[in-house]
Amino acid sequence: MAKLDPSAQKRSGHTANYWLGGITVSFFSLTIFFAINSKPYVAAQLEIPLVDKKFLDTSPWRQTYADLVKAKEDLSDYDCYACHDKSKPPLIRYDTNQKIIIPKEHANIEMSHGAHERNNVCYNCHNEQNLNTLQVRDGKVVKFDNIPQLCGSCHGPTLRDWEAGAHGRTSGYWDRKLGDINRLSCANCHNPHAPDIPTREAAPGPRYLHEAPSHEPSKSHH
Amino acid sequence: MSRRSFLRGCAAFGGVSALAASLAPLRELGDYTNTEQFLQKYYKELTPSDMTKVITRIEGEVERQYGIRPHVRDLKPMDGVEFVYALNLTRCIGCRKCVHACVKENNQSRSPEIQYIRVLKMPHGSMDVEKGNHNYDSKQVPEKGFFYMPIQCQQCKNPPCVKVCPVNATWQEKDGITVIDYDWCIGCRYCEAACPYWARRFNFTKPQIPKDKINPDMSYLGNRPRKQGVMEKCHFCIQRTRVGKYPACLEACPVGARKFGNILDPNSEVSYILREKRVFIQLKEEMGTSPRFFYYFDK
Repeated sequence: MAKLDPSAQKRSGHTANYWLGGITVSFFSLTIFFAINSKPYVAAQLEIPLVDKKFLDTSPWRQTYADLVKAKEDLSDYDCYACHDKSKPPLIRYDTNQKIIIPKEHANIEMSHGAHERNNVCYNCHNEQNLNTLQVRDGKVVKFDNIPQLCGSCHGPTLRDWEAGAHGRTSGYWDRKLGDINRLSCANCHNPHAPDIPTREAAPGPRYLHEAPSHEPSKSHH
Repeated sequence: MSRRSFLRGCAAFGGVSALAASLAPLRELGDYTNTEQFLQKYYKELTPSDMTKVITRIEGEVERQYGIRPHVRDLKPMDGVEFVYALNLTRCIGCRKCVHACVKENNQSRSPEIQYIRVLKMPHGSMDVEKGNHNYDSKQVPEKGFFYMPIQCQQCKNPPCVKVCPVNATWQEKDGITVIDYDWCIGCRYCEAACPYWARRFNFTKPQIPKDKINPDMSYLGNRPRKQGVMEKCHFCIQRTRVGKYPACLEACPVGARKFGNILDPNSEVSYILREKRVFIQLKEEMGTSPRFFYYFDK
């Protein structure tokens, strides 16, 4: 058995103390480190801009005559006899291509109704006997605020769908017992002189969690 | 006290503090769960008085988080009502207004943005959704040569998402709406994988909604704010449709392509459409899911 060297024993005691001290210090530093970093982990997120308010607007595209009456707007534009002569209906002029010549007083009218713009006779819808009203081709006079009847005289299936609620915008209550609906009229969406729906700006598409917002059209699906 | 016991004491104290500090992030769990919620019973087992308590808790949570007192309701399906959605592909112009009206109505996270509706831009002459692109960034729509097909939850009669849920956190109600109980969902995302329409969304991070953008008209199974780690999806705007109103996407559609109503009522718009119009398919009909969402054409 080796004789114990007291100095060696003392040295090993010191070593143990250093170890213990080291562990204590590391624990303390860990405590401080954890305490500082105890805030919850928040994933880096893209700041996604809120969608432009114009895309949240649900109001109709156009206002009909009936809307203008309801809103008590200025209706002087609809008083045809402020300029026209009551006794003789205005003449419609055409150029050599049978295209209607729009007089400069009506320059705001864009004529594009029907295939090849063939519905270009004003009196197909306007009443030449009384310009302040409209007329169906069979001579029945229709007021400005009752246009579905006029449009439907040519677009029968569309009128049938509209009356059944399958064409056009409806808002309000699907359950008619609980509330009313508001069914928009033809001219709330279609310009009677150019009824095709013009193109519109599209709202932004999907944005993904880990993907930078892309402004380039995706080519992945073509 | 000997030096040894002093050092031992220090080491033990340090160790305990380190352990406590490392567990500190658990305190943040309080943000989205608490004992009351943890002990909450399954939705279908809740008595009316239990539900009142649950709603009070939710209203309190929303108020604490967003500074606005919401009106939360637990709306039940109406008798003799089965909802059906019909979408007119001839009319849709792909403007995505429905997408954003939905986000606004249903308190979806704005960052990261969660959208229930995807609008596919599809080339003419094909019904193959694989050819669709939902990332189109057109300045003006509609573009020539394309049509647009919005896809959202199809509220299937035979929903695969409900079958795979291991905890019954999602189920079909008798008016046809497949709902999710956000308090019961464990976030396993099986339903997301099972859905053939990619209709379900997962909250990977804590949803962020600006305080002034909260819609205070909420329902328990519908648009109350979600938390991190749960699924969500279109629920036909329960908070609107179960009180007789049209869903938000329908109200926003500028061309009237979206039609909604009660298929059990022969005089409803959707009954008329399914009877009279050219209803082409239920999407991915061959999956046997039997959606309550129909696409139709005008001409």
